[in-house]
Amino acid sequence: MDETLAEFIKRTILKIPMTEMMTVLKAWDFLSEKQLQTVNFRQRKESLVHDLVLLCEEKRASVHDAALLDIIYTQFHRHQKVWDVFQMSKEPGEDIDLFDMEQFKSSFVKILRRALRNVTVSFRDAEENSVWIRIAWGTQYRKPNQYKPVYVVYYSQTPYVFTSSCQLKSNIPLLGQALTVASNHHKIVKMDLRSRYLDSLKAIVFKQYNRNFETHNTTVPLQERTLELDIHMDSRIIHENRIEKERVQRVTQETFGDYPQPRLEFAQYKLETKFKSDFNGDILAERKEPLRCLIKFSSPHLLEALKALAPAGIADAPLSPLLTCIPNKGMNYFKIRDK
Amino acid sequence: MEWANDGKTRGGVLAHLERLEIQVNRSRKNLEDLQRAQAVESALGTKIHKLRCLRDELRAEAKQRQARVKASTVNVEPDQTPEISEQEVAKRRKENVKAILQAYRFTGLSGKLTSRGVCVCISTAFEGNLLDSYFIDLVIQKPLRIHHHSIPVFIPLEELSAKYLQTNIQHFLFCLCEYLNAYAGRKYQADRLQSDFAAFLAGPLRRNSLCNLLSFTYKVEPRGQSFPFCARLLYKDLTTALPTDVTVTYQGKRKYCTFCSHD
Repeated sequence: MDETLAEFIKRTILKIPMTEMMTVLKAWDFLSEKQLQTVNFRQRKESLVHDLVLLCEEKRASVHDAALLDIIYTQFHRHQKVWDVFQMSKEPGEDIDLFDMEQFKSSFVKILRRALRNVTVSFRDAEENSVWIRIAWGTQYRKPNQYKPVYVVYYSQTPYVFTSSCQLKSNIPLLGQALTVASNHHKIVKMDLRSRYLDSLKAIVFKQYNRNFETHNTTVPLQERTLELDIHMDSRIIHENRIEKERVQRVTQETFGDYPQPRLEFAQYKLETKFKSDFNGDILAERKEPLRCLIKFSSPHLLEALKALAPAGIADAPLSPLLTCIPNKGMNYFKIRDK
Repeated sequence: MEWANDGKTRGGVLAHLERLEIQVNRSRKNLEDLQRAQAVESALGTKIHKLRCLRDELRAEAKQRQARVKASTVNVEPDQTPEISEQEVAKRRKENVKAILQAYRFTGLSGKLTSRGVCVCISTAFEGNLLDSYFIDLVIQKPLRIHHHSIPVFIPLEELSAKYLQTNIQHFLFCLCEYLNAYAGRKYQADRLQSDFAAFLAGPLRRNSLCNLLSFTYKVEPRGQSFPFCARLLYKDLTTALPTDVTVTYQGKRKYCTFCSHD
């Protein structure tokens, strides 16, 4: 095992928090139970990592073993990456998709290797017939850089692919080509959707975020659910504007539903519109060119914050459809031009 | 006898007669008193008798009433007792109807009206086993649109809705039922293969989201010396739960047999 690999393994293990160390190592399944028992997990982290790297050297860990550990770490800490979403499409009238995971993997690797000799590709199967792919890019003459890999998450027989944001933008077309051909698709397009929360992105594009359905088997009919107003809490409190408050609650419930919103951190609106003003003599109103302006809404949980705006009295209900269409359209990047 | 004193004898006789008279009167009075007492006694006696009879009657009636009340509470048939109110009857009828509506999901396709349209429930089943239920919440407007649903993303919902939702909603729902039931059946069979026949499998069962390609290695006898066979099942028709192509190969030799069940 050469020095660079040992260093890479050491740095990867160092990233793992002590509370997760055992879980991650067990999931990696590279060091045996016996070997792990020989290590003192109560010592200082640096010494522990040193001992573990020695064990890996003993067992002759390869680049692929190290890459697998990296995938597992990322799966545990998926929020540390920012994820983009791509959508693939087929030609109309194509045959039924008989997706074979092994064929997909070999086809994917073949296409990448054909273009780039120096590339490390690793796979790890995950839940719901999905696969996590880790790609470390190199160049014609340089070995792959293991510290800047790209992760791809793909659920079989779906048109969506989730990728961690890649700094080396030049490799994106190649990645896209490999994915489309290996998965029997024709075209791939980047969606205007980005977030750290991979599970929320999945919920948005797979349309799984609203799981409330009315059936005869539910015990509480949705219409009768009481609104969250404190009206009956204390008779000494009189609510002003009760009717308006109830209207706002109703409109909010119709727009956002009763379910927990998928988690996004921002929504960005790129405006290229002419300035509209009520004042006639305004300088800006005379501009013929559109005004370029970028508006970004940020929040630890953007959609829940938007949902709370009208009930809190900060905004009027109903909210602008530009804000409420985010999960439905699967976009949080918008370009707005004059029609 | 010599009358010694005229006065005394005369006094004596008259007094004697008087005394006798008083005696007779006294005895007559006694007799009358006795008779009166006897009459009163007999009257009281009859009264006592009457009261006793009345008491026995009342006791008997009280017992009867108790027995009747007990019998009516033990009795299951509510219609027999006249005390069930109209409200209870209506409540029972409403519960009955609700139970029938809930039982409709066993037909495979059921629905419930919502404020904006209808929420359709497709309950899948395979060989008598009830499997997952899927929902489509439709908004009844022109054009008809889907508000939200729980159909898996790999089922061609957009394709089907583009073709049939506006023109023939019955066909749309039946097609969707077909796809979902077939998918549920394939998934159920693959899950059962993995769990119930794990001893026969010599490796992991390879599958995909639609469960329309299964690839596995198996032995005919779980513990014996039999050779492992590689099986590959293709389900090209997504509306059925049976494979269209089956390939079984024997590892080591390239001899294999292919069964194609489509014409």
